[in-house]
Amino acid sequence: MLIIGERINGMFTDIGDALRNKDPKPLQYWAVKQEEGGAHYLDVNSGPAIPTEERVAAYEWMVKVIQEVSELPLVLDSTNYNAIEAGLKVCKRPAIINSCPVEQVKIERVFPMAIQYNAGLIGLTMDKQGIPKDAENRVAFAMELVAAADEYGLQMEDLFIDPLILPVNVAQEHAPEVLESLRQVKMLANPAPRTVLGLSNVSQKAQDRSLINRTFLAMAISSGLDAAIMNANDDELVDVAATCQILLNRSIYADSYLKVFRAR
Amino acid sequence: MALTGLDIYKQLPKKNCKECGVPTCLAFAMALASGKAALDACPYVTEAAREALNSASAPPIKAVKFGKDSVLGDETVLFRHDKTFYHPTTLLIHVSDTLSDDELRVKLQEIKNLEFERVGLHYSIDGVAVVNDSGDARRFAQVAAEMAESTDKSLVLLSEDPQAVKAALVQLVSRKPLIGAATAANYEAMVNLAKENSVPVIIRAEGLDALNDLVEKAQALGYKEFVLDPGSRTPVETLANLTHLRRLAIKKKFRPFGYPVIAFTGKSEPLEEIMEASIYVAKYASAVVLKTSSQAHLLPLMTLRQNIYTDPQKPIQVEPSLHSVGNVNENSPLYITTNFSLTYYSVEGEVETSKIPSYILPIDTDGTSVLTAYAAGKFEPEKITEAMLACGIADKVKHRTVIIPGYVAVISGKLAVLSGWKVVVGPRESSGIVSFSKTLSLS
Repeated sequence: MLIIGERINGMFTDIGDALRNKDPKPLQYWAVKQEEGGAHYLDVNSGPAIPTEERVAAYEWMVKVIQEVSELPLVLDSTNYNAIEAGLKVCKRPAIINSCPVEQVKIERVFPMAIQYNAGLIGLTMDKQGIPKDAENRVAFAMELVAAADEYGLQMEDLFIDPLILPVNVAQEHAPEVLESLRQVKMLANPAPRTVLGLSNVSQKAQDRSLINRTFLAMAISSGLDAAIMNANDDELVDVAATCQILLNRSIYADSYLKVFRAR
Repeated sequence: MALTGLDIYKQLPKKNCKECGVPTCLAFAMALASGKAALDACPYVTEAAREALNSASAPPIKAVKFGKDSVLGDETVLFRHDKTFYHPTTLLIHVSDTLSDDELRVKLQEIKNLEFERVGLHYSIDGVAVVNDSGDARRFAQVAAEMAESTDKSLVLLSEDPQAVKAALVQLVSRKPLIGAATAANYEAMVNLAKENSVPVIIRAEGLDALNDLVEKAQALGYKEFVLDPGSRTPVETLANLTHLRRLAIKKKFRPFGYPVIAFTGKSEPLEEIMEASIYVAKYASAVVLKTSSQAHLLPLMTLRQNIYTDPQKPIQVEPSLHSVGNVNENSPLYITTNFSLTYYSVEGEVETSKIPSYILPIDTDGTSVLTAYAAGKFEPEKITEAMLACGIADKVKHRTVIIPGYVAVISGKLAVLSGWKVVVGPRESSGIVSFSKTLSLS
């Protein structure tokens, strides 16, 4: 189970300010803190804090300052593929591109880029029309991403399918469909593609977010989730990820398994 | 294993013509994978694609049978803890046709001696591999016939010369021997010979690329009862080849390697040879041909084979009969435990350490531990009383005291009434047996 720390995102005020002021400290603080929490990857997203024309330079800068304090590999999160490419060029370790929907133009741009930079790729089960409601259509989109990976020669293990979870308070019927999608995606190819979710989405503007997040995380992992973009500093949430490793027989049990999971 | 959507999609024409009733070939592939459509709905799928899809749903490694109950292949995992290994390695003794008649008699006697009784199990050698080292077809046929005459075990007939194999095979077809080896030079004659007589054949080539080529050529002759030999004769190369062959067959469903593999030892010093064979038993060889045939060399190898091929999911059991530790006498104490091997050997080890000769009676609890058996109603006073009567312990000791595990103290009263013996509650953990035994008084 890979934990991708979500905190370095321009939507948060401290990161947004840091990006505008070119102040590396908040980015570096969260890089270290998320690693301590249990993150295996760091998501890097400028959000709308930076004007479009400055994004390319911003991503290069973000990657550089984060790598000054952290060895963790990065997940470059943007819809601006030039910005992602600028980031990939300075990444010291194989990164993950976040993300590519099922749109031919984008597939043609992003899959070759993933190959070129030896990067993983998060593929979204949606197209221009948006996110499908049912598992069947999500899986159909996933199959197109799998076929693209096969065509471009991207290793199936480097493709992360994101079946897109939506907030439970306004799109409640999506959660079971996402769980079913996770199960079916694993049968599309052998070896199977990996799976990822933007976990915190499930609890947007809902009560008891942490409880919702960790309950859904356990359900999703048991359905086949391999990675989650999530709050790596929610200790109870990380404990759930660690416990799932034990209960799915992926890590050998030890009394100190929570500690072992974080120590890696 | 079911086919994945991607496996199927790769075999489809990718015309997106909608004639199958589905908008795209990709969607059709997914419908096939989930069983919602039939391949016949597509008018453009080629014969080759149909064949590929059919064979992809076959088991990863074909089962090949020969001789007397020898089954090779039909395995599904790389590590036994993932499931289990199913068909224990077939062990065969190399018999050269250059041996004199006297030497043959000695060899045969040695082979006959390779039967062992150990820990309640019977081990035996599976067969002989008659090898045409002499180059003389007549002598080869003669030795093969003699071997067939004197043993009912499985036979392998090995010669590069198809005529020699044919001469030896004609008289032995009813024994269904494994023949070989088909090589790049003789494969047509050898594979056709196997096909005509419905016997399996060894395909041998130097290295995996050459083996792949040769298997495909041999398959083109319309026969598929193959056993593979990647040609290597050193442990390091053979280990690598065995691993690649098993991995490609199972993980990648690489059809040309979806057959069992036979290994030949290269070492001539017997102790080294047995170590070499041990590697092949542990690492995927379906059959191993050995030169040594002495009991001392084969027993450890057969024990290893037995151990490697046990099912890790099933608890290992000891025989539920009266066991004795040390030189037991009429004053020896009697311990009761279960026949789960972990439980039994924990008790046995501690009883041994106590240095007091003792009897241990493991109750048949289907190989479960004391508390598991008790909770499942398999460790009850009635059953223990019955086992005590059946094993005849009453005639062996003059005391009437039985020791039960501390965790089932609650059964002591009823057991005492039913058996008429005095029941002493032992320690909860077997580690307490040593100090417990010192304070024990049987009077």
